[in-house]
Amino acid sequence: MSETWMIFGGWVAAGLTLFLFSFLYKDNPFFKATEHLYLGAGMGWVFQTVLYQTWIPKVWEPLRAGDFYVLIPTVLGLSLVTQFFPRISWVSRYGFTFIMGYGSGLVIPLTLSTDFLKQIGGTISPFLVSEVSRATFWPLLNGAIVAAGFVCVLVYFFFSVEHKGAIKKASTVGIYFLMLYFGAAFGNTVMGRFSLLYGRFDDLYKYSGAKYFYATHVILAALVLYFVISHFTSRKKEAEEEAA
Amino acid sequence: MKTYIEKLLKIDRRLIFLALTLLLVFPIIRPLGLPNVNLGTEVISLYNKIESLPPRTFILISLDYDPATRPELHPQAVAILRHAMRKDLRVGMLTLNAGATGLIEELGERIPRDIAPGKVYGKDYVILPYQPNPVAVLTQLGMDLHQMYDKDRNGAPIKDMEVFKGIKSVRDMGLGICITGTALLDYWIAYTGDKFKFPMAGGVTAVSQAGYGPYLQTGQLKGLVGGMKGAADYETLIGVKEKGTSGIDALSLAHLMVVTLIVLANLMMLWLKYL
Repeated sequence: MSETWMIFGGWVAAGLTLFLFSFLYKDNPFFKATEHLYLGAGMGWVFQTVLYQTWIPKVWEPLRAGDFYVLIPTVLGLSLVTQFFPRISWVSRYGFTFIMGYGSGLVIPLTLSTDFLKQIGGTISPFLVSEVSRATFWPLLNGAIVAAGFVCVLVYFFFSVEHKGAIKKASTVGIYFLMLYFGAAFGNTVMGRFSLLYGRFDDLYKYSGAKYFYATHVILAALVLYFVISHFTSRKKEAEEEAA
Repeated sequence: MKTYIEKLLKIDRRLIFLALTLLLVFPIIRPLGLPNVNLGTEVISLYNKIESLPPRTFILISLDYDPATRPELHPQAVAILRHAMRKDLRVGMLTLNAGATGLIEELGERIPRDIAPGKVYGKDYVILPYQPNPVAVLTQLGMDLHQMYDKDRNGAPIKDMEVFKGIKSVRDMGLGICITGTALLDYWIAYTGDKFKFPMAGGVTAVSQAGYGPYLQTGQLKGLVGGMKGAADYETLIGVKEKGTSGIDALSLAHLMVVTLIVLANLMMLWLKYL
């Protein structure tokens, strides 16, 4: 990429970032325009990626080479588009039937194995005789806490028995485990959001250099100027309306 | 005092945004160099796993993140890639997320420039094109990857590339790493990890890190790098300070501010209620 395009890209990136952040002060036309541009650019990127990296090498080129088998999945895929035409929308059922059939066949057994059976196994395994005989105290305690939390949370979500007595106590412990999870998840979420914000600031700092002709500074100053002018013009307008 | 506290509790939130901005920007301009002492055990597990692989082992890295999660996940990808190249492993990179293709191009440009200048494309590493429908791709990777990927991202046939010598499916590879801000790591665990006994590890955003704990406990994941902190941990382990490490200053200051505000706000509420 040439130096000019790099600088231009820096100005666009800095501008769009600042326009989106400007919403934190108040809604404005720059934010609105950037919001729409984001959606359009995102869809455009996905479209060209699918066109050049999937459609052309996987459909167009095999067809040109005389491999007509690719027409079967292509037609099934294209049948989904008939959803947009009510008179022939029934054709899409063939595509959906295929997706449902192979999707269910792949997903159901593996989900049961990965997220159900293996998790039960993982909870029990620290207490197997072979494991206990060679384990030290801390892994056993860790396993016991995980197993206790697992059972108590399941009890909390078991609604067919009235929650009183021992069931209520177990269910209350289950709530505490859930709260611990939510706390950890929330803490991580805050850290994640700060990381993303830091990433944008890091880029804005990069674009504020002389190499990019102070893109961040210039756009930020222009944005502040816009808000100052907008503040005074809107006040003037309000005063005129009040006077009328 | 009471009026003053009530006013403070109704402070314009934009002032808090401004304070946060200043705290995050300050370490970028003037790095503080705060130490990253407590390394995550699951990050160390991934590091040890890569360390234990013999030279020329093939590892597959799925870079399934887009620009929205770039600040957290890109430093992870760079650090893991740098480590794998340093260990003389063969690396295959692919994506199942259409938004990631531009970021992979960026990585592809960086490898000969600063990540691993001595490595040769086609011999030591390869970049495969984007493919839609992750379930179909992952299932095929377990049987015959050449049926799914016959060309690299530039359209060159991959069958005769030295990097793919002896590699037909994930069963011939030493490790798979999915770096993602979506649920694609779950797919990798189920459709290649569990189904084809393929050792899997992950790099995820801090938001989804806690949810992958069960997979670590059962051994379905050999290691996990979470968020920018995970990237900083990995950079510490390989002894290279980059974007992850530089973010630790900003994160520490921002967290300090949030904790201070929470404590202060609670103390004010208690004052108003009981005094």
